[in-house]
Amino acid sequence: MAVAARVAGVLLTAFFFGLTFEGIGRKVTARIQKRYGPPWYQNFIDVLKTLTKHGWTHGWIFDFGVVMALGGVIATLTFVPLGNFVAFPGLDNFFVIVYLFTVGALGMAMGMVGTGNPWASIGVARALTLMLGYEVPYLIVITSLLYNFKTSNISTIVEIQSVNGWNIFRFPIGALVAFICLQGMLGKEPFEAPIAPAEIASGPMVELSAKYMGLLMLMNTFMEFVEISIFVDLFLGGGNYFEFLLKYLTVWIFAIMISAVLPRFRIEQAVYFYWTVPLLLAFIQVFLVVAGM
Amino acid sequence: MSNRGNVKIDERTVWEKIADQLRSRSMWMLHYCTGCGAVELPPSMTSRFDLERFGIGPMATPRQADIFLITGYLSVKTLRRVIYTYEKMPDPKYVIGFGSCTINGGIYYDSYATINRLDYYIPVDLYIAGCMPRPEAIFEAFTKLMEMIRKGEANGWKRYKENYEWYKQNQLRSLGEVIIHDEFHE
Amino acid sequence: MQNILLVAIIGSVAGYLLSLFYRRLGPIILLLISLYAFAMLWEIPSNTAENFLGYDVLYLTTLGKYFALLSLIVFSAYAIFNIVWIETLKTPHAFNALSILTLAGTLGVFFTTNLVVLYIFWELTVFASLFIVPMSKSEAKRAAVWYVTITAIGSFAFLFATFLLYSKFYTFDLVEISRNLSQLPKPTIWLVVCSMLTAGIAKSGVFPLHVWLRNVHGKAPDTFSAVLSGQLVKMGSYLIALLLSIFPVTTLFPHFYGGVNILSYILIWLGNVSILVGTLMAIKQNDMKMLIAFSTVANSGYILIGLALLDQVGFAGGLFHVFNHAIAATMIFLSFAAVVYRTGTTKIDELGGLIHRMPVTFITYLVGIISLAGIPPTSGFISKWMIFQSLVSRGMFVTEIFVFVGSIGSFLYVFRPLAGVFLGQLKSKYKDVREVPIIMQIPMILLVLVTVFFGVFPGQVLEFIVGAQKEFGIDAFQYEGTKLITSMGYWDTWIVFVMFAVGFLIAAVLYLITPKGKKIPLEDQYTSGEFLHNFDLYHYASRFYAFLEREYGDHPSLENLYASLVNALKSLGKGIDYLVSRTASAYVFWLGVILLLLWKGW
Repeated sequence: MAVAARVAGVLLTAFFFGLTFEGIGRKVTARIQKRYGPPWYQNFIDVLKTLTKHGWTHGWIFDFGVVMALGGVIATLTFVPLGNFVAFPGLDNFFVIVYLFTVGALGMAMGMVGTGNPWASIGVARALTLMLGYEVPYLIVITSLLYNFKTSNISTIVEIQSVNGWNIFRFPIGALVAFICLQGMLGKEPFEAPIAPAEIASGPMVELSAKYMGLLMLMNTFMEFVEISIFVDLFLGGGNYFEFLLKYLTVWIFAIMISAVLPRFRIEQAVYFYWTVPLLLAFIQVFLVVAGM
Repeated sequence: MSNRGNVKIDERTVWEKIADQLRSRSMWMLHYCTGCGAVELPPSMTSRFDLERFGIGPMATPRQADIFLITGYLSVKTLRRVIYTYEKMPDPKYVIGFGSCTINGGIYYDSYATINRLDYYIPVDLYIAGCMPRPEAIFEAFTKLMEMIRKGEANGWKRYKENYEWYKQNQLRSLGEVIIHDEFHE
Repeated sequence: MQNILLVAIIGSVAGYLLSLFYRRLGPIILLLISLYAFAMLWEIPSNTAENFLGYDVLYLTTLGKYFALLSLIVFSAYAIFNIVWIETLKTPHAFNALSILTLAGTLGVFFTTNLVVLYIFWELTVFASLFIVPMSKSEAKRAAVWYVTITAIGSFAFLFATFLLYSKFYTFDLVEISRNLSQLPKPTIWLVVCSMLTAGIAKSGVFPLHVWLRNVHGKAPDTFSAVLSGQLVKMGSYLIALLLSIFPVTTLFPHFYGGVNILSYILIWLGNVSILVGTLMAIKQNDMKMLIAFSTVANSGYILIGLALLDQVGFAGGLFHVFNHAIAATMIFLSFAAVVYRTGTTKIDELGGLIHRMPVTFITYLVGIISLAGIPPTSGFISKWMIFQSLVSRGMFVTEIFVFVGSIGSFLYVFRPLAGVFLGQLKSKYKDVREVPIIMQIPMILLVLVTVFFGVFPGQVLEFIVGAQKEFGIDAFQYEGTKLITSMGYWDTWIVFVMFAVGFLIAAVLYLITPKGKKIPLEDQYTSGEFLHNFDLYHYASRFYAFLEREYGDHPSLENLYASLVNALKSLGKGIDYLVSRTASAYVFWLGVILLLLWKGW
């Protein structure tokens, strides 16, 4: 029962704070653009509104893809430690989380391409290519941390940081690389090519109406929550529940601020970029770890 | 289409009333840039006027949109696309006609190719008068539409369903038949 | 074991004769033999020695048993599928006989540690499968030549090493040889081990001998591609696993980096290059069978890396990956065979939207790629996780790059047939396509269940792997029920599966309580307000990753290098041909040479 309560806790945190922080992010973007911006609860309204509409479906694979996308991400979320608040202690293996994550992504890609719209296929092809770009430096940096601490449990690394200090100070280059990769994972500018609205009609989401849109917005929120949580846990020392949320918000706003002022990379430019600068920095990080510095 | 029987068009259940509250606060718009009205939208969305504070934002495709902005005069050719796009939007959907062109054809009223009255073809919830309406007028319209949605008065999408045959008839009469072999011989 | 082999060899003759009367009998015989062999083999404890035709040559290791059982699963699925599919062939009797003979050959390879017997069965397998390859397409004859040439490089190297060892130790028994191997001088050890491994490398399609896979997998009869990729390639992995674990590799070769010896390190690099080449080439393919052929190259690289690590976790991961890839490749190739059976093409951009007509085939392909790409809750993830854990714990970061590129790249290439063949717009040409007959669906559904089952309860497979590890004195992989443990942490397949189900349930509830979506046809699309009349064109399938492909468009190709070698050899042959043919000029030339030799007095 305690496990069920913890799982519910994680999910509700992701729901309430994920959507709230997205709303705050919109507000921040607006202020950067000298606008007033929507209220902080705007994203709740958006999601709930889409759930009340009467949408269209293109067949069972579309429905199944949407459910699989949301279900996969919810499953991933339950394994992510929120600072020292962990639903399944000991089971928060980094690789399990990273690979469980792809269930949701595959579900989304499959459902969206299942609509039969080529814009969706192009968007998914771009998203996968971008993934090939950012995952490699990201995984190299994270595995150098795992190698350094001789564990692939995220919460163990959180505990070690509470004694040794935050990893962002011990591994500044690694943190920088991970942050650049995080920007790609979040799909924020300059790595926004997969969902370029003006270019490929919002890519994978082109045929999404009503509740399908709403469920995928929820899924997107949860995905962002997983990605940023891992970054906060691994580099900013996790901390207790409230510290964690504060750090989360800081990272999120930082990402939002960068995305608000940058234009968009073309997809091959993004991959080229990831495989040169961040990958090189990642190897400097690896060298420092292996050399014991 | 489905006959709603003796249920009145503006009757709503409790859930629909709640849903309408949400719908009025989050309106995603599809601006079909048929005419000069489109140039008034960027200033409405950007720093000076900032539409987003009402939860109104642009969307890329009709599938995601709630309000459909017809921003100016319509020719026979664009009307086809407007109807095609309107039917792709999910219910409930609202249409705003911009400027006098959508009401009576505006200054192009006597052209052979201009559609003079939009609401013969799709149900319009709200018109904005003027040639062209300033962003202030657009804001006026949006706040009015929000109010109408909350009160359950923006029922264009229900009217379209109810009087589908009538709308189809008008559409067919104006558009005529195009015999098409493939996408290069329209 | 003797009985199994004899039944299989006799069954091959019986299969030939019976299919002359009724072609569907052949696959049924193959199925019966596979099931019989499976049941018999399950009972035989490992480490039993047996006679074969009076010679004391058969010896069943746990490793051999694991591979043999796996092969039998693949062959059973293949046999059931063939019962209907066989009608598309022109020469069903020969196909049936050779299929059963292939089974006999591979089982023979797994049942012995005697080098000569192993070689004989190895060549029997190659011989039998060689003639199956060109059976359905006439252009596959060249593919068969590729196949036999590359395999011959390996098997001749193997034979050379076998006789070299015999000349030193006067025995063909691998166990005995491995005990005394360290007495040999260093260069000889290198020569022997490398030439024996060459056979495994050639067969499992590892760089630089991977070039045969594209043509052979792509052009072989559709169901036989499943056996090629799911089983015959694994024979190479078996040889590598056997040699690496039975030879005292860690003491024979000096330590290099992170607890890995120099030989293993070289093998790991071959694996790395295989992953890179396989992944990048697979992304480019427009032929779905060739695409998965290149993915086989990449996955053989994974297996090789896992096996070469020779440790508690990595070796187990490599062996588990053999299982996963065998099952996944079989599923994928069977689903392709089903597609080709109904549509007659393997080109991705000629197909589309088949999910609306062939849902079972689609689900088979889907679960197959989920396992191939290593996504939980299928078994494919477990082996990838093990290999990752081992690499990370040793700090092999350069290898990690390749492994991660291969892993993420696999999402890219498996998605291409998914989007191009099964999803997207249904081509008007295939509007009337139906799902394949129920007999073809049975093996596909069974394999789906196997993949998901072992993804949640991997215990039985791990038992074999642990047995194989213990047999060769490697620390055994640790697991308790569904909990997999490494020094870097653990995870629990069952809890992950349960949470997956919970997540799915929450999403499904949310989906069900919200207003129902209305079904619209595929032609009802957002088209930027444009009217479309030919929806065949509204399907994004050709040059799916064009923006990525052009980044490495002008890459060097080993296939072309080998082809130019062949051309050089051909022109050399032509020159010799010209000189030895009985023309006046040749006569004068040779006379001159002989006179010259006589005059010089050689």
